[in-house]
Amino acid sequence: MSPALLSVEGLRVGFRSADGGIVEAVRGVDFSVAPGEAVGIVGESGSGKSLSMLAVMRLLGAPARVTGGRVVFDGEDLVAADEKRMRALRGRDIAMVFQDPQSSLNPALTIGRQITDVVRAHRDVSATEARRIAAESLERVGIRDAGKRLASYPHEFSGGMRQRALIAMAIACRPRLLIADEPTTALDVTVQAQIVDLIAELRRELGLAVVFISHNLQLVAEIVDRVVVMYGGKVVEDGPVEAIERGPRHPYTGLLKACVPSLSGPVGPLTAIEGAPPRLGRLPAGCPFSPRCPDAIETCAREMPALIAEAGHRTACWRPR
Amino acid sequence: MTGPILALRGVSKSFPQGGLLDRLLGRDSRLVALDDVSLDVMRGDVVGVVGESGSGKSTLASLAVGLARPTLGDVLLDGQSMAELMRDHAGLWRRRVQMVFQDSSSALNPRKSVDRCLGETLALRGVPRAGRESEIAELLTLVGLGPEIGPRLPHELSGGQRQRIGLARALAMKPEVLIADEPVSALDVSLQAQVINLLSRLTRELGLTLLFISHDLALVRTLCSRIVVMRKGAIVEQGACLDVLDRPQHPYTQTLIAAVPKGLAGRRKTWPAPSAVAPETREDIHGAA
Ligand SMILES: Nc1ncnc2c1ncn2[C@@H]1O[C@H](COP(=O)(O)OP(=O)(O)O)[C@@H](O)[C@H]1O
Ligand SMILES: Nc1ncnc2c1ncn2[C@@H]1O[C@H](COP(=O)(O)OP(=O)(O)O)[C@@H](O)[C@H]1O
Ligand code: SF4
Ligand SMILES: [Mg+2]
Ligand SMILES: [Mg+2]
Repeated sequence: MSPALLSVEGLRVGFRSADGGIVEAVRGVDFSVAPGEAVGIVGESGSGKSLSMLAVMRLLGAPARVTGGRVVFDGEDLVAADEKRMRALRGRDIAMVFQDPQSSLNPALTIGRQITDVVRAHRDVSATEARRIAAESLERVGIRDAGKRLASYPHEFSGGMRQRALIAMAIACRPRLLIADEPTTALDVTVQAQIVDLIAELRRELGLAVVFISHNLQLVAEIVDRVVVMYGGKVVEDGPVEAIERGPRHPYTGLLKACVPSLSGPVGPLTAIEGAPPRLGRLPAGCPFSPRCPDAIETCAREMPALIAEAGHRTACWRPR
Repeated sequence: MTGPILALRGVSKSFPQGGLLDRLLGRDSRLVALDDVSLDVMRGDVVGVVGESGSGKSTLASLAVGLARPTLGDVLLDGQSMAELMRDHAGLWRRRVQMVFQDSSSALNPRKSVDRCLGETLALRGVPRAGRESEIAELLTLVGLGPEIGPRLPHELSGGQRQRIGLARALAMKPEVLIADEPVSALDVSLQAQVINLLSRLTRELGLTLLFISHDLALVRTLCSRIVVMRKGAIVEQGACLDVLDRPQHPYTQTLIAAVPKGLAGRRKTWPAPSAVAPETREDIHGAA
């Protein structure tokens, strides 16, 4: 196996709560991404997906902060890096796109200006050259008349085009890692399919490693090599996409798959996961899924199952399937 | 043979577009949100309405509940014209057709407890004070919640619980038709499944007629007996749900079906050809590492 491009080791993210204690939302997350690999991170909302990746980018806003662990990118610990170093890495080596393209763009600046700003922050090029690169990036993400579109403002773009523009900005400096946090959740399914195809295509052309966050396992499985499943601030399963699709080992992954109906096969009541995702600070001492798990035994709520690897497939469960 | 419980007859709805200046200068243009739509919904039908955003689904919903009036055409409830019913018995329409919204947090008053919210709705229906408490308990049970939810405020509920309260409030009016506009779009998949199963049970047990608006074809397939596909304000295809989804006739329906994520089975064998622009390598840009 090649050395990891990104390695997240025992990452913890917490908040100072009203009573002065620390509430942890990310509770010891481990996973890695090889160069050029595409990894999907799935789980219900509140499982800590966004906070983990914001911690990787060092973009956590107060009151959230990293309370433990390391984030190693290309051999360098980012948790310990200074802000100047992070500014150099962000956009150039690691880029991130978010769910809501609207709020990630500055409404007062043209699309062209926003892309050229990123380009000039990382590359020693003239203004003309920066505009050429910006136009080329827009063209690469499938925006027609890219040269003219540089003068457009975000509101003149549709939601799908805005997301494309953000991806253009993200790839303008040819990063090695692209983190996409629910990049299609706010879009129509038809546009979602186009954006997913675009990310897969860019990955192949540019040799990008991709972390694709989503609550939709079916969507993620279309483009990733490996799936990391999170629940209650922990990784509960991590395996090759084929294995996760055919036979998930963790009961949560199995249920997460089963509760999404498909467009073929018999129609019947859906498998539901009873109860609600856990609330921070109200997690059991043991397996976070134990209050909702149909397979739970007495040990489950009391003792935390370790994330155990078996032939490249990791599962944290006392009774894996 | 009885007629449709809800019918749209040649319904169009348009909205004025452009600023005041445009209108003063006579540059009056209108945005056509619904364009000559006709639809019959029979009693007990569970109809899925699908289409991309902007296709007119919510406009259709607001016409059906009587929150908006058609620009052209008529909406009929059990054979009675909306134009007439609204003039004489607006309250009656509003009681017989109820609505559940996507975002129940903005549809519920943040300062009113669940008990109070449901109690006020029951009062609207004319349920005497003495009978309300037991009916609130029944409603909560119906939507799968316990009585401990009663004293809570909306922000003290999870998204799935709030959606159930929105549903309980609509059911408190004992409607004949329920319009649900993207009722599960904001929920996690596990909670979506819970609410879909609940809607499915309620339509069966209460004989409700349901118009289920969604952009999720797989959910519609699970819940609905009929499907209506909308595009740019018009119905492009409709029919029995499984027929349409298994053998779509209209290219737009085919596009929608093709876009549904399908897991490993949906992996494109060949990704689209790279674009014409030759990719610059990282080394070209940043120099060799
Ligand atoms: N600024 C904040 N203050 C307090 N809690 C927060 C804050 N941001 C996120 N959280 C909580 O942290 C948990 C994990 O959040 P997040 O990483 O956004 O989850 P996901 O992306 O998996 O939906 C959630 O329970 C969320 O409510
Ligand atoms: N109150 C309104 N004023 C102006 N335009 C509206 C109004 N309501 C809807 N529209 C427009 O009508 C079209 C259809 O909208 P809508 O019915 O909300 O579609 P959907 O629910 O399918 O996304 C859209 O172009 C929308 O912008
Ligand atoms: S450890 Fe126990 S409760 Fe947790 S997922 Fe496994 S069986 Fe279920
Ligand atoms: Mg998130
Ligand atoms: Mg709508």
